[in-house]
Amino acid sequence: MAHLAVVAVGADRPGIVAAVTGVLVESGCNLEDTSMTLLGGHFAMMLVVAAPLELTPEQLEEALGDVAADLGLVVAVRPIGEEAAAGFEGTRWGVSVYGADRPGIVHRVTSLLASRSVNIVDLSTRVIGDPERPVYAMLLEVVLPDGLDPGLLERELAGLRDELGVECHMHRVDTDIL
Amino acid sequence: MIRPVVLLPEAVLSRPAARVGEIDDGALALAADLVDTMRAYPHCVGLAAPQIGVGVRAFSLDVTGHPKARSCHGELVLFDPEIVLAEGPVVGREGCMSVPDLTGDVARATRVVVRGMTPEGEERVLECDAFEARAVQHEIDHLDGLLFLDRVVAADRVFRRRVYR
Repeated sequence: MAHLAVVAVGADRPGIVAAVTGVLVESGCNLEDTSMTLLGGHFAMMLVVAAPLELTPEQLEEALGDVAADLGLVVAVRPIGEEAAAGFEGTRWGVSVYGADRPGIVHRVTSLLASRSVNIVDLSTRVIGDPERPVYAMLLEVVLPDGLDPGLLERELAGLRDELGVECHMHRVDTDIL
Repeated sequence: MIRPVVLLPEAVLSRPAARVGEIDDGALALAADLVDTMRAYPHCVGLAAPQIGVGVRAFSLDVTGHPKARSCHGELVLFDPEIVLAEGPVVGREGCMSVPDLTGDVARATRVVVRGMTPEGEERVLECDAFEARAVQHEIDHLDGLLFLDRVVAADRVFRRRVYR
């Protein structure tokens, strides 16, 4: 088996997941980690699938063609490397960022995190509130490297308040194993 | 006796467990096994009987020394436990020895009153808060065939315990 990345996005309606996964099953693919959600009225599917070695990404994308046309989906299939990323050890934190919508918030915040070798493991953004005065909300889950002082990062994030007009908060995500 | 901890998708984890009723030799042996197995894992604070493959309403618990514990009743085994009062739900991230790869965000009451029978056959009524309350609710869920995965606050609030496999 080889791993393929499958992405499908289209205007939301019932039956998208059933139709796309129907083709995957017929093609001998096994769904592994997936994330599927609504993004601004579009249903977005991101899948890592284990595919038979003889199935090329091009063939799978073509096999998805009829379903994509019927449901109005943009579909792409690409090979992905088999080598796993090196583990990033550290502590888990949640970061929330809220502010008036303006260009560059995600880039500025994530550039700061990258400069401190903070690894993002989950990120979602939403534009909420009154259309006249949209509010941008970004929620991240990150892994802080062991050597990094959380207080320092928190102060640096707080420093973005003046620059971007956003509020940034950090909280430790600790898991109770029961 | 230390017993192996059974993992998802073992059927015993997904079925409601049977009431104990009377404490007999089998129940006493189960209580000892729950405590022995709990003690065999350094970070284990509680274990429900279905997690050692026994579909019976019993759990062991000990939150002594846990940094998030407030109430602490020490080492406990309760049979046929039931929650008689629960208040103040708060969301926290949980993991489970029977679901080793995942964690999830679950809302639990911060204060519960639980009633159950001890191995000595006495009825006890315990008031638990904070971490002990969360643990009690997690263990009693096991007796109803529920895992934390059945309780996550939203479909996207499930995470890998380690970032990479």
